[in-house]
Amino acid sequence: MDPLLLGALVAFFTIFVLFSGVSVALGLLIVSAGFLIIFDGMRSLELMPEILFGKLDNFALLSIPMFIIMGASIASTRAGADLYEALERWLTRVPGGLVVSNLGACALFAAMSGSSPATCAAIGKMGIPEMRKRGYPDGVAAGSIAAGGTLGILIPPSVTMIVYGIATETSIGRLFLAGVIPGLLLVGLFMAWSLYSTWRSGDASVLSAGSYTWKERFEILPRVLPFLAIIVGVLYAMYGGIATPSETAAVGALMCLVIAMVIYKLWNPGDLWVVLRDSTKESVMILFIIAAAGVFSYMLSSLFITQAIAEWIGTLDVNRWVLMGAVNIFLLIAGFFLPPVAVILMAAPILLPIITTAGFDPIWFAVVLTINMEIGLISPPVGLNLYVINGIAPDISLKTILKGSLPFVGCMVVAIILLCIFPGLATWLPDAVMGPTR
Amino acid sequence: MAGHSSAAVAHAGNNPFLRAVAAISTVAGWCSAAMIVAAVAITCQMIFVRFVLNGSTVWQTEAVIYLVIAATLVGLPYVQRLRGHVNVDLVPLSLPPRARFFLALITLSLSILIVGIMLFYGFEYWHFAWDRGWRSDTVWGVRLWIPYLSLPVGFGLLLLQLIADLVAVITRVDRPFGLEDA
Amino acid sequence: TELRLSHQWSTSDVRHKVAEIVANEVAAADVDLEIKIFPSKSLFKPREQYKPLSRGQLDMTVFPLSYAGGQQPAYNLTLMPGLVKNHDHAARLNESPFMGKIEEIMAGDDVMVLVHGYLAGGFVGKDKCITAPEHVKGQQTRAAGKAFEQMLAGAGASIASMASSEIYNAMQTGVLTAANTSSSSFVSYRIYEQVKCYTPASDFALWFMYQPLLMNKSAYDGLNDAQKAALQAGAAKAEAFYLEEAKKQDAASADIFAENGVEIAQMSQEEFDAWRALAQETSYKAFIEQTPGGQELLDMALSVQ
Ligand code: NA
Ligand code: NA
Repeated sequence: MDPLLLGALVAFFTIFVLFSGVSVALGLLIVSAGFLIIFDGMRSLELMPEILFGKLDNFALLSIPMFIIMGASIASTRAGADLYEALERWLTRVPGGLVVSNLGACALFAAMSGSSPATCAAIGKMGIPEMRKRGYPDGVAAGSIAAGGTLGILIPPSVTMIVYGIATETSIGRLFLAGVIPGLLLVGLFMAWSLYSTWRSGDASVLSAGSYTWKERFEILPRVLPFLAIIVGVLYAMYGGIATPSETAAVGALMCLVIAMVIYKLWNPGDLWVVLRDSTKESVMILFIIAAAGVFSYMLSSLFITQAIAEWIGTLDVNRWVLMGAVNIFLLIAGFFLPPVAVILMAAPILLPIITTAGFDPIWFAVVLTINMEIGLISPPVGLNLYVINGIAPDISLKTILKGSLPFVGCMVVAIILLCIFPGLATWLPDAVMGPTR
Repeated sequence: MAGHSSAAVAHAGNNPFLRAVAAISTVAGWCSAAMIVAAVAITCQMIFVRFVLNGSTVWQTEAVIYLVIAATLVGLPYVQRLRGHVNVDLVPLSLPPRARFFLALITLSLSILIVGIMLFYGFEYWHFAWDRGWRSDTVWGVRLWIPYLSLPVGFGLLLLQLIADLVAVITRVDRPFGLEDA
Repeated sequence: TELRLSHQWSTSDVRHKVAEIVANEVAAADVDLEIKIFPSKSLFKPREQYKPLSRGQLDMTVFPLSYAGGQQPAYNLTLMPGLVKNHDHAARLNESPFMGKIEEIMAGDDVMVLVHGYLAGGFVGKDKCITAPEHVKGQQTRAAGKAFEQMLAGAGASIASMASSEIYNAMQTGVLTAANTSSSSFVSYRIYEQVKCYTPASDFALWFMYQPLLMNKSAYDGLNDAQKAALQAGAAKAEAFYLEEAKKQDAASADIFAENGVEIAQMSQEEFDAWRALAQETSYKAFIEQTPGGQELLDMALSVQ
């Protein structure tokens, strides 16, 4: 059978199987097994466990559970609350200071956590009730945290960047740096929108809530120190010649666990277990998808589908921006349904050759891809952050959360457009720190 | 709309089989978490040896890789029990209860089938490595049947938990897909 | 008939061209045989090609044989410091009873050689040149291959194990100060941007790795005579090309490093002998201890002039 036709068939059955409600990882294994049996014979089936094991046999994957532990351990303490409270005391004179503080806290927390749901939970637990108490609209309160939480995978460290780095053999250190400026850009856009929408809702009391003395402002600063220590420590380990980026994650995880235990008194075995349980749950889920997606991509390659698609796209004579637009729409749709790692692992081997032949920078593309994945995190039907918010504030309906998040999706689209016009936003920092590539 | 965090832990009710499987999966979860912690500790030890003592680090990288693999595979049944494996439940949500019940039977049976296949060939692969005395091609030279053991163990336990989930749905101890009735 | 060939290198690599020559010759012979090449580890990971090859799930691979040293300890001899002196010596080794013995072991795993070939490599230092054993003392070193790790550790180096793709970053941040790998990897990972000095393989070289084109024996036996003949004709042509290119690569890598302002160092006869004496006490010794019949195999290899 023609590999392209076969590819269409695989796409159809994958969608069909995944929509049945089977877990994503097992669904990928089922589709792979089916196509391998029919088009490659039973022999290939024997290989599945071996390939699955082989995909996990990679030191860089270690950093996934580590960066998740970093976020989860700190999220289980009152550190997130301290962070946004400190920001709030200092930003109280800024109109809408509370929502700005919460978004700033999300950005800072994202610099410690590799995953988005953790970022969302850490800041949202205190931030959302506080914003609602001060009269912010529910949609703004929930939407800003849901969107702010997505920064977890753009601002380094980032689990999706690690997975992209592994799948495409791109330097993870470089990818991390590439996310910094776009991350700050997004924070700025988010803040601007929040301020505008709060101002438009017209409740004056919201805009100038609370006032703090200078004593109160300085008093809280020491409570932000652990954060700075962790962030500086991780950056120093990573770029200062102590450890490779994958190893740095372990240093970060250890620092966060120790700080959570010593400074935030998280030494009750029950509480510690909750941190470990949640980290294990998220890590195993992600790693199993990575392993299953590995088997899936073996199937695609073995049936020559990957190669045929790359060749076919190569023969198309379209404008590179039309191509980039098509790629973005594809990623957006995939991101609506699938968790970021699954999209990256399935799409990267097919998309990357296309992207590089069209003259786009793989580091820059990683940032665009990540922002696409962020949109998926706050959009139905599989929007992990929406569920996290729903868990924190069960009385805000999913519809309200969704409506509140929608404008932030707009901000992300604006960010993607800005990145297309000014690619330097992503590539300048890695080039400045690590020297230009090639 | 659930999918990830809104569905609760799988129910076991008073069924002794379901309770036993739940207990086994929980122990597997503890082992998985312990292996992740061990991986953190070993990596930090490696950085210390290399950076502070300027010594050789020969076995650590490999040990950490195998620990993370084992944590993933052995953790599978526990995460299944916590319903932590992400799925797209748009269709199940929109179905009436009866259709949803049958769809759950189909997806669970398919899951059991694929995990059974992985268990069978995973065991065979493990046995092959054991039989031929394969080692890793490093100075440490680990006997490969040790890390490969996580394949049959992990998929075996996942199979058990999936069978328990199927039994729970059939005996109405648990709801299909763990979803609340609409 | 369709045969599947997997390897880990890009399509511009010499080892891909070797596979391509065989595939093209076979196609030109028009004997109803097609070789489908899966380059850039698009099918299997580099170290995971031998198992499917030996179990018949993969037909052909271009493969550094020492990767399978954990399954057949004898293969470790195909990446042993100081065993091969230069490319012509390597070619003589390929024809020797020693290689016959290795091929016998392969046959036990249902594997056979179509194209023999060795590639060489050297050392890089971030701060200084590495030509003699005393130069690596106290250096954080990444070595390619178990036997080299043992020898370098014996010289007082600290061994850090990591993938060759991580060498660049580790050198840049200072996690690593020295490394040893193949000439082509040094170039493809652009290590010249990060180091002060390069010791390429030249008159004396320590690092030679046997990277043949292998085939599953049952798959070969299942072919008809015309197909076998076409395959062997292609293999002979590829082998001659492989040897010529292998010789060119070392000089080419030195040129690229020099162009990028890296100092080029040469190993002397005395330094080579010092390394080899060290290897005898470390890697050779460990090999003999861990391999049944290891002493005999080693003697066979050393007896090739
Ligand atoms: Na982050
Ligand atoms: Na989504």
